[in-house]
Amino acid sequence: MKFNEIVFIVCAILLLLLIFKEVRRASKVNLIWRILASVLLVVSFALLIVPINYQTTKEHTDAELNLITEGTDVDTIVKIKGEKYDLDSNQFLTQKRLKIKHIEDLAYYLQENNDIKKVNIYGYGLDEQQLKQLESYQVSFHPAAVPGGVISASWQKKIRETESLNVAGIYHNTSNTAIKLKLYGLGTDLDSSIVKANSKSNFSFSNQPKQAGKATYQLIALKGKDTVTAEKVPFEVVAKQPIQVLILASFPDFEYKFLKNWLYEKQYQVVFRSQISKGKYSSDFLNATSVDVSRINAALLKKMDVLVIDEDEMSAISPIERISINEAVSNGMGLILRLTNPKPNANSPKYGRYEIPSATATALNISAVKENLRFNELPFPQTLFLETSENEQPLFKSATGKSVVNVQLNGMGKVLVSSLSATYQWELAGKKTDYALFWSSIFLNASRKDLKNHSVELIPQFLQMGNSTRIVTTLGDTKVPNLAFNDIKLNPKQNMELPFKWDAVFWLTNSGWNTLTVNNAIENVFVYDELDWANLKNANKLNLNSNFSTRKLAEEINLKVTEQEVTEELSKWWFYVIFIVAAAFLWYEQRFLAN
Amino acid sequence: MLKTEGKNWIADFKVKLILLYVLQILCISLAIAFIFSVFASYFKLNAILSFTIVFLIALLVGFLFKRIFQIKNDTTATYLDEHFPQLEESTSLLLKSSSELSLLEQLQVRKIVDFFPLEKGFKKPINKLLLSLLVLLFSIGVVFIIHRYALISTYKSEAMVQASSSALPKENIPAEIESVSIKIAPPAYTARATRSQSQFTIKAETGSKVTWLVNSNVAVKKLNIIFNNTEVVALKATNNEFTQWSFSKVVDHAGFYQLEFDGKKSDLYQIELIPDLPVNIKILAPKIHTTIDFGQVPRVNLSLTLRDDYGIKDAYISATLASGKGEGVSFTEKKLLFNVSLIGKKSIKLNKLIDLTALGMKPGDELYFYIVAIDNNNQTSRSDVYLVSIADTSELMSMAGLANGIDLVPEYFRSQRQIIIDTEKLIKEEKSMSAEDFKNKSNNLGLDQKLLRLRYGKFLGEEAETEVGGEEHTDDDGHDHAEIKYGDVQALMDQYAHKHDIAEDATFFEPELKAQLKAVLNEMWSSELRLRTYKLQEALPFEYKALRLLKELQQKSRAYVAKTTLKAVKLKQDKRLSGELDKIIEPKNNNTFENKDQTNEELKLLLTVLDQRKSGKVFKYGERELLRSGEAQLISAAANQPASFLIALKSLRKLSTANKVVVSDIEIVQKAIKVLIGTEEVLPQKQDASPALKLSNGYFNYLKNGRE
Repeated sequence: MKFNEIVFIVCAILLLLLIFKEVRRASKVNLIWRILASVLLVVSFALLIVPINYQTTKEHTDAELNLITEGTDVDTIVKIKGEKYDLDSNQFLTQKRLKIKHIEDLAYYLQENNDIKKVNIYGYGLDEQQLKQLESYQVSFHPAAVPGGVISASWQKKIRETESLNVAGIYHNTSNTAIKLKLYGLGTDLDSSIVKANSKSNFSFSNQPKQAGKATYQLIALKGKDTVTAEKVPFEVVAKQPIQVLILASFPDFEYKFLKNWLYEKQYQVVFRSQISKGKYSSDFLNATSVDVSRINAALLKKMDVLVIDEDEMSAISPIERISINEAVSNGMGLILRLTNPKPNANSPKYGRYEIPSATATALNISAVKENLRFNELPFPQTLFLETSENEQPLFKSATGKSVVNVQLNGMGKVLVSSLSATYQWELAGKKTDYALFWSSIFLNASRKDLKNHSVELIPQFLQMGNSTRIVTTLGDTKVPNLAFNDIKLNPKQNMELPFKWDAVFWLTNSGWNTLTVNNAIENVFVYDELDWANLKNANKLNLNSNFSTRKLAEEINLKVTEQEVTEELSKWWFYVIFIVAAAFLWYEQRFLAN
Repeated sequence: MLKTEGKNWIADFKVKLILLYVLQILCISLAIAFIFSVFASYFKLNAILSFTIVFLIALLVGFLFKRIFQIKNDTTATYLDEHFPQLEESTSLLLKSSSELSLLEQLQVRKIVDFFPLEKGFKKPINKLLLSLLVLLFSIGVVFIIHRYALISTYKSEAMVQASSSALPKENIPAEIESVSIKIAPPAYTARATRSQSQFTIKAETGSKVTWLVNSNVAVKKLNIIFNNTEVVALKATNNEFTQWSFSKVVDHAGFYQLEFDGKKSDLYQIELIPDLPVNIKILAPKIHTTIDFGQVPRVNLSLTLRDDYGIKDAYISATLASGKGEGVSFTEKKLLFNVSLIGKKSIKLNKLIDLTALGMKPGDELYFYIVAIDNNNQTSRSDVYLVSIADTSELMSMAGLANGIDLVPEYFRSQRQIIIDTEKLIKEEKSMSAEDFKNKSNNLGLDQKLLRLRYGKFLGEEAETEVGGEEHTDDDGHDHAEIKYGDVQALMDQYAHKHDIAEDATFFEPELKAQLKAVLNEMWSSELRLRTYKLQEALPFEYKALRLLKELQQKSRAYVAKTTLKAVKLKQDKRLSGELDKIIEPKNNNTFENKDQTNEELKLLLTVLDQRKSGKVFKYGERELLRSGEAQLISAAANQPASFLIALKSLRKLSTANKVVVSDIEIVQKAIKVLIGTEEVLPQKQDASPALKLSNGYFNYLKNGRE
């Protein structure tokens, strides 16, 4: 016998008893009412015990989860309807009245409350790992205002000796006073700029670091004399990669002489050959061992990173030599071809060029097309300029936009064509830095690339103490790499598709410089403190979350709102009220009405 | 007076008495507070605060002492009894109500009531008040004087502190030193007095004699002074207790020094030098190149200023006279003196009239001169070379240049020359001819000059009615007024138009040439004016100048290259580059650049080491080595420029010994090293390629060759 049946039987007996009593009473006043009241009393009593369920169809609305994260202002929190939760219990510790509940672990909570289908995120948002857990949920992001301070910054983590460190980013000034932003290092202000009040402005600082090795500069924001923020700018200066240069000259001119001497003094390996007569050459081996250079062959070119040659020499050498040069270039060597004649030679490659009358030629003011390099005027009237064909890219241009150096891909190598014939004028005029800057840029663009044995990528790029990092190592071969972080050996996992990629995870425990050893080579890794670059991290979170929610919204369009059959229970309060009213009537009737 | 009136009077008296007392206490308290505030400011306490506190305390004490609040009518009565014998100790009776008084007392009251109101009742308190006022005034005076004096002294000390702080912020003086006195005797040439200081940082004129007098508070066995970390000199003890030491040295280069007490080294102190600059010479007149034309007075007015930081000793003009031509040029050097005493003057303006004829200069000669000035320290300085030349008129007259060249416009030159010859002739003949004749001839010459001018004017496109060969615009002037054919528009236009020169004529010469021509015309104008007004002597200079300018013009327009015959043998192309080359050797050079100077590399590494030190890392063995080499670099830099590098050197020394990390010290050193390294040239580099390139290389080769 079921419980419900027992209840009904008991109630029926009770009802009979009550009706019997009512009927048997001396005074017959209100008998109908009393019986009715008794029936209602007992029925409601029974229904208080036994629930009434009914079937209905209604639009399905899933449960929502309101997540409050850092940066949400109190006004927004107050307006939120429904339960509010946070993930960091320290966040709103002082705001007890906001009634924010704490979720210890988001994944666990979501698993537990599987009716939650939509998550509303307020504030700066969640981090990448947490967002991943929301992949199967509908996410609506209510972003907080963009935080003040440095909200975007980037610089080279590793620069080569004598290269400049470029720190660029965006500063969001939310205060009513101008902010002075400066790059500080080596006890001096290296570069600075002013950010106007209530504005967002880009900044770009450049400085040539003097260190060799690891260094940490600072990006300081000053309001008057008070330091608002001071953020770390860690970077590493690595030793220069020497290049080997072969110069083939049809006749020795000043341009070659200066270039040769400059490279020699900078301790680069230079082999210089110039023709003195038919088949007779004068050769210089600077910082290099003597080899036979009377014939250019693949073996010689394989050792070289860059070949500098002029058009006359190119057409004077034998076709076999030209073929081996072409082969070397397609295998990665750089070729710098100097054009000196207004008409291409018979045997040399045809590069488009044009000459302007010498009367209109002026001193040359060249600038780099891609990089932001500035040069002093080259005190030499340049008459020869280059035509840029469709598979060429101009590298240096005159102030009037005429190309003087073009670059073209040939296999894995690059061919630079230059119509400049008097850059040595910079040296003569004492503008040594211009000369160095120009030729360094030329060599950097032309030179054979330095093939590394391994490369390491750390995810995320912004390492923070207390967090984990994924170390992805790319190797030249498929052997197991010997990985160690701060002398703690790591056991990497091989990538399924790409066998030369290896994965390892490490939890960061020390802030500052850490060492990562990959097959005995040391990589320096900087780990930030938890509070470093707070504004930047928040701004990044904002971007991440809004991107995530837009992506989710786009997916959500395909979802349909479904109508569902639902079993609903009638509220017991109704029966309780009937019960009370009926009981009250019976009592009142007996006490007052009956008499 | 009635008894009740007497009672009222006493009450009134009481109030006034209290008031007087209060004033008195106020004055005294103020005086005390003033004095105290002065002391307080002496002990560097807040003057206003201490003034208020002392004032309030004094006031309170005064009130309690005088019992101001306890002064009642009966105490006033007692006061009156004490001070006025005529009241016979009965004043208090006035205060009692008449019913309480016995008969005797009533009688007594009646007796004393007549004395009221008491005359001079306030005499004593008023006197006291005046006295306290005097005290107050006195104290204010004292405060004023002290304050003023103290103010001056604080200003002085502030100024001194500033001066010393600008020289060097802090001086660490070893504990052994009781006092030091450094006497700086500037060299004689500066004419500055000897001064002494108690600071170790020295700023002295080059060549000063510096004497150190060191008093130590303990006996020191050996006291050394070390210059630039290299030169060690022992000081001499001047007393038997070995507490007084002295040393003197002539400083002629900047650097730093330190003291060493029995092996214990002091801080580093800098020696800065004030150099003596040579005399500054500024020539105001004449211009760097002056030409004296014929007729001008052969004199040059030289005007210049000389300036020196300590004093000028001597100055003169060194002049070189170049005379003659071609191979026969002779030079004579002369020393011209300014007839003014210069000795000891710091700045002077000099004028000198150089008479060129007195120097023996003839037309065509050139005078080169420059000024030499010597200062007290025997440093000489000299000015640029200035040139004065006298135009050679005789050269103008010679036909040498004309005879063998191409004569473009010979007749005009002859004309101008002719005018000069005629003028000179006329001047000679003036006395032998009648005035009218002379004027006539002079006028004719003027006319000639005018004609010549007009001829030249033609080159410039000038037009004048009286142009030479110019057309008179009459009915039958140059144009042919032929009958006009009907419909001939050109002819019709010609009738009204006035055609002469072709416009291109006016732009026949280059603008520069035209400007010169204009200058010639100007001179001719001036000459003509004088000729027409019979001032022949005055006209001559203009005639000469016109001729000179014309001559220059002539030289300019003569660009002529003699034609030479050249017969080139035709090259046989097939024979080119076909010679025997077996004897030609192929030169080979092998050079390796040895960079011996590794200092920059070491400094760069040191920068990194210091950066790591900031985060608390201790120096390792190799790093200490770097520190030492960096220190050596800083020492040599500080020896030359102590003002810039001495602080960094001190900080570096502190760093290498200290256990605690002082970031400011590290930054000072880093800053100095940054300056030492200087700017660096950008060097050629290779680009990095990721190892994954091997895979893409494989793809690339496969695509290119169709095989792996």
